[in-house]
Order: sequence, then C-alpha cells, then structure tokens
Amino acid sequence: MRRAAALASSVVLSAAVLVGCGAQAAPQAGATSLTWAVETQPVTLNPHLWAQNKVRLLVFNQFDALVSRGADGSFQPWLARSWKVSDDGRAYTFELRDDVTFHDGTRFDAAAVKANLDQLLKPGYNPAVAAIQLGSFSRAEVLSPTRLRITLKRPDALFLDFLSSPYAGQVSPASLRAAKDLKFGGTELAGTGPFILDRYVQGQELHYHRNPAYRWAPPGAGHQGPAHLSEITYRFLPEAAVRVGALTSGQVQVIEGVPATEVALVEKDPGLTFLRALNSGTSFSYYFNTSHPPFDDVRVRRAFREAVDLDAVLASVYRGTATRAWSVVARSSPFYDAGLEGRYGGNAAEAGALLDAAGWRQRDAEGYRVKDGRRLTVRSVSSAPFVRDRRDVLAQAVQAQVKQSAGIDLQIRIVDQGAAQQAADDDQYEIFENSRGDSDAGAALNLILRGDGAINRTRYSDPELDGWLAAASATSDPAERRRLYAEVQRKAVEEQALVFPIYVPGDQIAARRSVQGLGFDPVTGTPRGAYDVRVGT
Amino acid sequence: MRLVLPGAVLVLLAVAVAAPGLLAASDPLAADPAAALAPPGGAHWFGSDHLGRDVLSRVVHGARHSLGIGVAATALSVAAGVLLGLAAGLSPAWLDEALSRAFDVLSTLPELLLALLVVAVTGPGTGNVIAAIAVAQIPTYARVVRAQTFVVRRAGYVEHAVTSGRSRWAVTAGHVLPNVLGPIPVLATIGLGTAVIASSGLSFLGMGPQPPAAEWGAMLAGARDYLRVAWWEALFPGAAITLTVACLTVVGRGLQRRFEGRTP
Repeated sequence: MRRAAALASSVVLSAAVLVGCGAQAAPQAGATSLTWAVETQPVTLNPHLWAQNKVRLLVFNQFDALVSRGADGSFQPWLARSWKVSDDGRAYTFELRDDVTFHDGTRFDAAAVKANLDQLLKPGYNPAVAAIQLGSFSRAEVLSPTRLRITLKRPDALFLDFLSSPYAGQVSPASLRAAKDLKFGGTELAGTGPFILDRYVQGQELHYHRNPAYRWAPPGAGHQGPAHLSEITYRFLPEAAVRVGALTSGQVQVIEGVPATEVALVEKDPGLTFLRALNSGTSFSYYFNTSHPPFDDVRVRRAFREAVDLDAVLASVYRGTATRAWSVVARSSPFYDAGLEGRYGGNAAEAGALLDAAGWRQRDAEGYRVKDGRRLTVRSVSSAPFVRDRRDVLAQAVQAQVKQSAGIDLQIRIVDQGAAQQAADDDQYEIFENSRGDSDAGAALNLILRGDGAINRTRYSDPELDGWLAAASATSDPAERRRLYAEVQRKAVEEQALVFPIYVPGDQIAARRSVQGLGFDPVTGTPRGAYDVRVGT
Repeated sequence: MRLVLPGAVLVLLAVAVAAPGLLAASDPLAADPAAALAPPGGAHWFGSDHLGRDVLSRVVHGARHSLGIGVAATALSVAAGVLLGLAAGLSPAWLDEALSRAFDVLSTLPELLLALLVVAVTGPGTGNVIAAIAVAQIPTYARVVRAQTFVVRRAGYVEHAVTSGRSRWAVTAGHVLPNVLGPIPVLATIGLGTAVIASSGLSFLGMGPQPPAAEWGAMLAGARDYLRVAWWEALFPGAAITLTVACLTVVGRGLQRRFEGRTP
C-alpha cells in the first residue's frame, strides 16, 4: 500500500516536473492554445443536420467533406483525391484517399461515404436535405475501399456543391450507430477533421484538441499536416458588447460578430486586427406569406416595401456598415441580378396609394389601417437561435417605419425553435425572416422559392418559377444558370414582390494582433475554421 | 421633513403615469432613424436612442408601464395575501398549518427567482409579469396578516362581539379585518419598490411588455449594446428605476418609523 502511494507520488512529481518543463519550453514554441468567442450557440453539432451559417466555422474543425472549394470557387480534392463525371452528367466516380482515419480509430473508406449518404436519406433524419440537395440522388455503389460510384436520376449542377458543404461532413459510421443523441451530435460523433471535440458545455463553451494524425488538409489550406494550435476553446458570448469587452480585456483572443457600433473602436486599437467579408447565398430578407390576407394581395406586399426607407433604417441600426440588398440572391453571388437595384422601395406616398387601392382605407384610433373592421396586422415570428446581427433591433426599426408611413401594424415575436416551427406549420405568420449562407445561391433558392421547397414560407407556387429553378439546377453552363436565375429573381422580387431583401449578411472577425491565419472561406464568406490559425509572439 | 424630496419625486411620477403628455410632448414610439443616438441637447433633452426615439419621452411614458406593473402586482398580492393570511389565522389548526407551510416554501425562493419561474411557465407579457410578481410577494403580506390575526382574535372587543352573538363573518369583516391591516400600507409601499425592481428585471430579460413599448427595464436591455457610444440611452431609464425605488423605500421607511409600535 505504502509502495503504491510512493509510486503514485513519484509519478505525480515527475508529471509536475514534465509539466514545468513544458511550460518553460512553451514560449519558444509559441503559445498553442486559443480562446475564441462566438455569437451563436449551435442547435446541433451533427454536420448532417447543420442549420446555422454561424456554426459553419465549427463544422470543419471536426469534420472534412469529400470535396473542397478553391479561392476561385472551383471544386478541388479533399477526402476524395479525384473524380470523374460521366458524359450524361449522371454518374460520379470518386477515388478516395486511403490514409484517412476517423477520430474513433476506424478507417475512412468508400463504405463510410455510402453509410453517410444512407444516413442522410433515412426518413425523418433531415427531410429538407433528402428532398432538395439529394433529390436527384439515385444510388451509391462501393466499387472498392477507395472507389465509389454515385448515380443520379438526372444531371445536377449543385451536386458537387453539396459534397463540399457541411452536410457532406464525413462521420464515422460506427459513431453514427452508437450515438445516443444523434440529433445533437457533439462529442459522440467522430469525424476526420484537424480537431477533435472533447467537451461541450451547454451555454458556455466547446473545447477541441488537435488531431495529431491529420495529414489530409484540402489543397487550398494554408499548410499541410496537423493544425498549428494544440487546443482551442470556443466560448458562447451572445452579447455583442460582452464579446468585444472580452477581447479588449484579453480574456479571449478572437471574436466573431463585431457589432457596427464597436467597429470603429476595434479598428482604432493598435493591438487588434479587424476582418470582414460578405456572405454568399441569399440576402437577409423578409418573405411574405401569400397564403392568406393581407399578403395574398400583391399590392399590400409592394406597399410594405415602399413604406420602409431602408437606407435610413440600415444607417441607423448598422451605423453605415451594412450593405443594402436588392435581390433575394446575395450581392457576392455570381447569380446576383444587379438590374433590380433601385427598382422599388422607400416611397411612402406610393405605399399609401397601394394600400388605399387594396381597400385598406380607414384608420383606427392608433393610426393603423383597417378594412372590414380588421386592423392591418402582420406577424413576424422568428426563432431565437437564428437571430443575429441585431435583427431584433432592425425589426423594431422596420416596425416603426411601416407604422409611421403606412399604418401597418407589424408585430414581432422572437420565440424558441419549437414555437417558431409550430407557427410555420400552423400558417400563423405573415412574415418569415431568413438568410442562407449556401455556397451556391441556387441551393438556397431551391429550398425557399420552389413550390415544394422545404422552407418555402411564402407558400407561393408557380410552375414557371419551378421550371426555371429545375433547369438551372440541371445545367452546368454558368451563363445559362445566370440567365435562368435572373428570371427567377425578376419574378420573385420585382413582379410578385414575394420578398423584401434587406441587407447582405456579412461576418466580422476581430482578434489580438498576435493571432495569425484567420480568414474567411472564399466561397461562402463565413469565417474559416481554426486549422490554419496560429498564435505568434 | 426628510420625506419632502422623495415625496415630490413620487408626485412627479404619479403625474407621469396619469398624464405623461404634460411632461413630454413627443410620441415615445416615433422613430427617426436620421436622428439616432443623438446626445442630450436642445431637440432631445435626454438624447435619442438607437432608433432615433426621444429618450425623455420614453422615460416619462415608461413610468406608466413600470410603475403600473408594480402597483397592479402589489395590489394583487396585498389582496391575495390579506385573504390567505386571514384564512390561516382564523381557520382550524390543520388548515393553518398547511397554508403556513405553503408560505414558507414560497418564501424560501427569492422573489425574482419565483417570478421568473412563473413567467417561464406562463410566457412573456405584461399580464403574466404582474401575476408572477404578485405570486412571489404573497407570502410577505400573508405572514404578517396571519400573525396580526392571532393577536386581534384574542382582543377583548373581538371576544365581546363573539359573545354578543354576532355572526362569524360579521366579526371577521367588522372587527378582525380592519384591525389586521395596520402594517399593510407601510409594507406595501416598500413592496412596491421591490415590485418595480422585479418588473424592470423581468422586462430587461425580455419577459415583460414587448418592443416597442417604452418600459424602463426593456429600455435598459435595448441600450446595453450601445453603452460605449451612447451612455444616455441607458443612464436615464436606469436612473428612473433607481430614483423610483429609492424614493419608495425612503417614504416606506419613514411611514414605518412614524407608525412603529402601534398595535391594534
């Protein structure tokens, strides 16, 4: 017993000595841990169920996709070394890397890719992805451990984009089977990424340590081999002012989501760096529910847009740092139709005339318009985990504008995810707020505007619109896709006024000057993961 | 004498509740994005907020929400507390025991925590916040009334009324009730201060009146992201809460000292 104690104490002692040496050696090697404060807490850490653009920066720490994107947007190898597409555009044959292992020690191979695809198609698992992104998928065949053939029902220009998205983050099939809380993922799911998630504390933080075996970074990465950082902690700090305070006081070294009011302060500080980028995908927009009054009338939809002096609203809420949106497609996307700029909005007199023509002529005691005894009330119900960039404040500014200039009663409710879903299912909303960060805007439009789209909250269905979207998904000719998406935007934004585009979402990073290798994904404009990040001295 | 200043503030608050237009002419909800975050000055004495609304006007109109919730919650909890306290003091031992233990359980939880629990169940909104604060404050009044009831029901005039054949209800209403209420006005004045803090706290957390309503706690919550660039947006609603609660406490304590030691 005594010997055991002596042994234990000597082990502790030598461990302490070793730790001491490590601490002394550290300054020469450079500090290798980092704390990064993020705005948004993930609703899930399972890449297959990824839903928040703000969480993209976490996904690729833990997981790798089959295909990566270069700075020019081209598709490049990642876990797939190469691929061939058949002449009819329906069969993709992938050659996979043979040197990749999951964090749980199992090997990555063609069977694992097939297992991931099978999982995504399981009923009730991710119905939106199964219906849209994998809508063209027919089957996957394992030809050998390193060779996989995927056959599609029809050519799909968006398929490689899907394979480069977080949804295609490869999860160890063993951990998919064993996970108790598959919907959340977390530490139970094993990926192949440069970092291994070892701790998740709800409402507080995520902690990763380096994957020492990592040798399969995509060609676009800043280096090869294991990550520079030995560990990284992401702290959830939803309050913007608290995040900035944590950075300036040195509690964290990096923050994302820098509010407009703090940008000048951060830029002035010689100890800090500030980076920003616009996101791809769709603009942050209000989608009008056309299934019932008052927005079943296109004149009311138009009037709402005319009632808002958007430039003034954005200037006051974002202090001149926001980029106004004119189309549902974000300005940074190659499919953006600049022809829509200046075509609508900000004309209060026009708003009044449109509402008068639509029969909303009377006013009640509070100044709101009424028709047949009913007030012109519209409800916006949004889910708290998706409220970012002070969209709650923005909504209040819009609320004041539509009341003052058109007598529209905009009611804003920010609720939990379940209540928001319930309101959507029960058709108990008139406005749906959304932005999507898909790397290819077409993927987002398929979800939002197609008659059967998984998040078609306008409830508008039009065979012509569906036809353009389907044709644009099927062709890989960029010019043809641009033409088709321009038709889509003209119809949805200008002719039907289904959507009120507001601003182009962007991401901001502020960091201590000693932190290097931070940046944005060139295609999506969202912050990159921590793989290339290092701390200099 | 020392109650004059706080008394005057309370009178001013009462004016703000009854006729806010007398103190601030502009609409508390009128937004002017072009004038957002203007510092205090000629056009806006207390400055403007992040949506260009007049802070003075919002603080004045906010009194109706903040104090209104406080008064309503206090009135509700006094009514419920008096009834329950009286019931406990007059009922058979087992019922008294049950009610008293219920008060004890409620008292173990801090008032704000209990109110939060109620709002978490009922959802946000003015009515729910009033109910939540009222429930949380019931034990304060109920316990005092119960203790008073024990004293009063043994008083000579009560025993005389009982022996002279008056009904149980008549004795309770005519002799017990008026004489157990003595400490209530003082307690309620101090309790009103606590209720204003609780209502502001719950509104700060987004549980109270919903935007764009001008409520002091909600105003503070909206202002916290702009603290570095616009101190006035947070200072004035914060000062309004502090001043209100301080004045209510000073007046309450003053009343307490004046009536201390008087028993029925």
